[in-house]
Amino acid sequence: MWVYEKKLQYPIKIKQTNPQLAKIIISQYGGPDGELGASLRYLSQRYSVPYPEIKAILTDIGTEELAHLEMIGTIVYQLTKNLSMEEIKNSGFDSYFVDHTTGIYPASSSGMPFNAAAMQVKGDIITDIHENLAAEQKARTTYDNILRFCDDPDVTDPIRFLRAREVVHYQRFGEALRIVTDKLDSKNFYAFNPEFDRQKK
Amino acid sequence: MNERERLLRRLSSYDFAVTELHIYLDTHPDDVNASQALADYENKSCQLREEYEEKFGPLTPANETGNRWAWIADPWPWN
Repeated sequence: MWVYEKKLQYPIKIKQTNPQLAKIIISQYGGPDGELGASLRYLSQRYSVPYPEIKAILTDIGTEELAHLEMIGTIVYQLTKNLSMEEIKNSGFDSYFVDHTTGIYPASSSGMPFNAAAMQVKGDIITDIHENLAAEQKARTTYDNILRFCDDPDVTDPIRFLRAREVVHYQRFGEALRIVTDKLDSKNFYAFNPEFDRQKK
Repeated sequence: MNERERLLRRLSSYDFAVTELHIYLDTHPDDVNASQALADYENKSCQLREEYEEKFGPLTPANETGNRWAWIADPWPWN
């Protein structure tokens, strides 16, 4: 279960709206490498994992990703507050607006709705941790790309925070991989799948 | 920045340290210095949280104090 905290993980207070930027940043809400996919990926992978350290890291990072999802929702919401029809037309936000007005909908920047096909739960912890290492790097690249489009410090500051978290999570998953391989057959890590096969003695 | 925002920023910085150390300890459970630092930040966070909630209302539903409106009231985190 979870307990909601009525606060953001990192403060966000955007004074200047920017619908064009909002349309780019929404990708980290519901896009292929976004925070929704990240939390679902880790929180779903953990069930069949046999090692307690790995259950802990997947639960804790998956939970932090939910806090990041809320931060992205907040950024998009604040960037699209009190817009005039003129601003909506001129910024290219109209194609989003027609379907969602200024509500926050999990989709990629190009309009593709959230799709679990961009993530994987393989039921093999070595495979899943590699998936997660790649996922953290893909999110990091997306944040780097978002930063190419923004010069408002009210936006770049929380985006840089989120980017740094991807790097830290990548580091933790690297350590998690080491913890897993230390428990496996050192001559052949792939001799059996600890999430399915019974360990051969 | 008003007093509520200032207090919330300080609390968030303590809570961030707690999150970071907690995740670090998942893969380094024997790091005594990190566990000590975690305990220190948890303490700091706990004290400041009490002060914040007394002044500005509950941060979690469990800390509601009988006044239903204190939880419902704006601002919500995205406001």
